[in-house]
Amino acid sequence: MILVTGASRGLGRAICERLTERGTEVLGISRSTDPFPFRSLSCDVSSYEAVKDLVRVLRRERTVVDGLVNAAGAASMNLAVTTPSSVSQRLIQVNLLGTIYCCQLVAPMMARQKKGVIINFSTIAVSLGLKGESVYVASKAGVEGFSRSFAREMADFNVRVNCIAPGPIDTGLLKGITPTQIAQIVDRQIIAKKFTPDDVSDLVELLLDPRASALSGQLLQVGGA
Amino acid sequence: MTNHATIAAQIQVAIATLAEKPADSILPETQLIGDGSVLDSMKLVELCLQLEDMASELGFDFDWTSETAMSRSRGMFRSVASLTEQFICQLEGRV
Repeated sequence: MILVTGASRGLGRAICERLTERGTEVLGISRSTDPFPFRSLSCDVSSYEAVKDLVRVLRRERTVVDGLVNAAGAASMNLAVTTPSSVSQRLIQVNLLGTIYCCQLVAPMMARQKKGVIINFSTIAVSLGLKGESVYVASKAGVEGFSRSFAREMADFNVRVNCIAPGPIDTGLLKGITPTQIAQIVDRQIIAKKFTPDDVSDLVELLLDPRASALSGQLLQVGGA
Repeated sequence: MTNHATIAAQIQVAIATLAEKPADSILPETQLIGDGSVLDSMKLVELCLQLEDMASELGFDFDWTSETAMSRSRGMFRSVASLTEQFICQLEGRV
């Protein structure tokens, strides 16, 4: 079973739908309690206790978690000097701490079975150092650093940890960025093309595949940077 | 009901097995973290997973991510005795 956070919308939703289409058992995690076309549970990943409760349920059900995709995320495009502290805290709490909490609490289930794949999400904005995204970039740079170190910690347990860094993808996270700004970011990618949630789902499938067994601690930048 | 001595013995054996040492060489003061530890980080995680299983059989959830878990001075992993004490505290719902 693949656990996907941020399952209610955006990339998380697209990944859940793709994996479900492929016949992979998915458990979608989001704050929403709406019904989804895949099994889902409500959990706020920015709460350590909430994630701990979720994992407790999974352990009691003796769920075998083969993969964890940490797609839950928040974005806010502001100059650092105009970013309210509550927004900075929210970005770090959801993007960085949410990823860390899910990793540190789910990984022991994988360590127990000596097998597992973890995929975290960064952004191409980290490599490009995009203006107007500094706090968001800081939260995602943290995810990249964490993923690389965590990959080493989990390697002894045959658990692979990688990170995907998309460029601008049509999801709710792009709200507030103008088409011109998006075009400028896309132009700075190595492949100057706007990619889609389907392209990101392809990469998720690639990383989950056993044929990616040699890949850990890697950052896959969608479009290249 | 499982008594404290039995639990302590089970934890001692689990550590000895992971450390590949005789059980009687694992003493209450044996360190589990730091330079003098008998376990590397991988074995420490494996020990925690075994304690989770032991706790599950005893009907409680063993929490090895508490604020004090890794503190050198107060943490549960500073010695075999402190780990055993913490495990029994959690068993008895004292934490």
